[in-house]
Amino acid sequence: MSMLLLGSLFGVVTLLFMFSGAPIAFALGSVAVLFMYFFMPASALDTVTQNVYEEMASITLLSIPLFILKGAAIGKSRAGQDLYAAMHVWMGRIPGGLGIANVFACALFAAMAGSSPATCSAIGSAGIPEMRKRGYSPGFAAGIIAAGGTLGILLPPSITMILYAVAAEQSLGRLFLAGIAPGVLLVLLFAGYAALRYRKEYVLAEAEYKRSGAASALLAAETFTRREKFEMLPRVVPFVLLLIGVMVALYGGFATPSETAGLGALLALLLIAVIYGVWRPKDVAPILSSTLKESTMLMFIIGMSLLFSYVMSYLHISQAAAEWIVGMQLSKWVLLASVLLMVILLGFFLPPVSIILMTAPIILPPLKAAGFDLIWFGVLMTIVMETGLIHPPVGLNIFVIKNIAPDIPLNDIIWGVLPFVVLMLLAVLLICIFPGIATSLPDVVMGAVASPAR
Amino acid sequence: MSHGLDTGPAIAAIDPDTPDFLKPLAHALLRINGAMVALGMVALLIASCVLTYSVVSRYVMKASTDWQDEAAVFCLVGATFLCGAFVQSLRGHVGIEAIAGLLPRALNRLRVVFVDLMCTGFCAFFAWKSWTLFHEAWVDGQTTSSSWAPPLWIPYGLMALGMSLLSVQLLVQLSARVNGFFKKPQEARSAARSTEATS
Repeated sequence: MSMLLLGSLFGVVTLLFMFSGAPIAFALGSVAVLFMYFFMPASALDTVTQNVYEEMASITLLSIPLFILKGAAIGKSRAGQDLYAAMHVWMGRIPGGLGIANVFACALFAAMAGSSPATCSAIGSAGIPEMRKRGYSPGFAAGIIAAGGTLGILLPPSITMILYAVAAEQSLGRLFLAGIAPGVLLVLLFAGYAALRYRKEYVLAEAEYKRSGAASALLAAETFTRREKFEMLPRVVPFVLLLIGVMVALYGGFATPSETAGLGALLALLLIAVIYGVWRPKDVAPILSSTLKESTMLMFIIGMSLLFSYVMSYLHISQAAAEWIVGMQLSKWVLLASVLLMVILLGFFLPPVSIILMTAPIILPPLKAAGFDLIWFGVLMTIVMETGLIHPPVGLNIFVIKNIAPDIPLNDIIWGVLPFVVLMLLAVLLICIFPGIATSLPDVVMGAVASPAR
Repeated sequence: MSHGLDTGPAIAAIDPDTPDFLKPLAHALLRINGAMVALGMVALLIASCVLTYSVVSRYVMKASTDWQDEAAVFCLVGATFLCGAFVQSLRGHVGIEAIAGLLPRALNRLRVVFVDLMCTGFCAFFAWKSWTLFHEAWVDGQTTSSSWAPPLWIPYGLMALGMSLLSVQLLVQLSARVNGFFKKPQEARSAARSTEATS
């Protein structure tokens, strides 16, 4: 059978199984086993389970459940509300400070919990009602939270990045570091936009006041005493310490990324036990069982995606596709743009986990051949996949917000979110023009690698 | 990707369409899954402790860390596979329903039967191959290649057990869907409503 025919058959069967509505994990596994049966030596089927086990039994991959546990522990506690309240009090004086406080709270919480939807619901459940009470338009409030939540997969510890590091065979520590500056860039862009939009809404509210005398809540000034400010601190400090502690352990060379996951999970459980009194088995069990539910689902997808890519590369489909892409002789930026466009399109349907594991064997070799730094590309790909979390039709974060603020029409949420999608694409553009945004921090901390021709 | 997907019902329940003779099995599965989740919780905590101990022992006691990573891997692999059936009982393994959901209702009920059939087939095959792998490792006394060299039948056995449970779980769910498909149209309509309410 010719390569083209085999490749197309593989693609069509994969699409058919995926869109049948079957669980992604079993759909991918079935496709892999079917093609093994028809196109690979009979012995391949005998080692299918060994294959899955060997791919999965890596401590880097298996740190994912522990990172989820850490996020779940923090997400299920009152930490989100406390963090939010503290940010609010400290930034009350800045124009648009409430919006900016929400962005910052999202970023900090995301870095601690490492989960986009968890961030949205933790910060949003306190932040959205507060912003609306203070006169922010509902769409704007929802947009801030939805976009802020996506920072979770860019700031370390990001599960998306763990998978990328495994798939691209890059250093996880480096990749984590490379995500920090772009994360900060996004925070600044979001905060800047929040301030601008606030000015605009403020001017509109003022005009309305002059015209009709109806004062919007936006016009009321709000001040906090110094005492109120310092009263908020003790509740937030431990979590910030946890965040910093984990970072120091990781980059000070005390712990490997997977050890950090275990340490972080245990510390997070300890902290919520001490601060919020969440230590009884009946309090902790829901945290553990929701962790198991999410991580099992993810690990099944990961294991089966790895089997799927193994079959794809055994049959030389991924290599042929990669060679075909290289053979098109695209200019490197056209290549990059088309790859990112494909990631966006896939993001309409697939979770980032599957996108990375299924496409990495095909898209990474051409990108490498074109001279792109794979760590840098990992950051770009992550940001692009983040947009998939907030744009329709899937846009998980949109639905999380619809859940916590059911009275905001879906349309308002979507329109409120779109400017943030534009900002994220702007960040992608900036990182393309100035690759140093992503690569200089890892170079400084961990030393430059023998630099590939860029 | 930490998605925090909370899909499906939070508490596992037995599909009312489950054939009567399988109901005891379905109840047993519910209890077994509960036990597996409890085991999984313990495994998660042990893995965190082992990895934390690894950091501490290396920097405080200057001990070499040779077994911690593997012990954690065994715990986490075990937790993952043993909880597979639990997640399936909640229908928590996510799929792409966006396009399939556009099908007409009758066709859709046929689709879900086929989807479950395919998943059951795949998982049963995987479980069977895991048991043969387990058997080989047991008979040949295979170990990992590290210096600690724990026997490989432990993780293989956990994988085989988990996949078998998952296959049985899927079989019960499949039987419920087949049963639902062949019910009289009127009955089926009300059944469809009740499954929609729970899923």
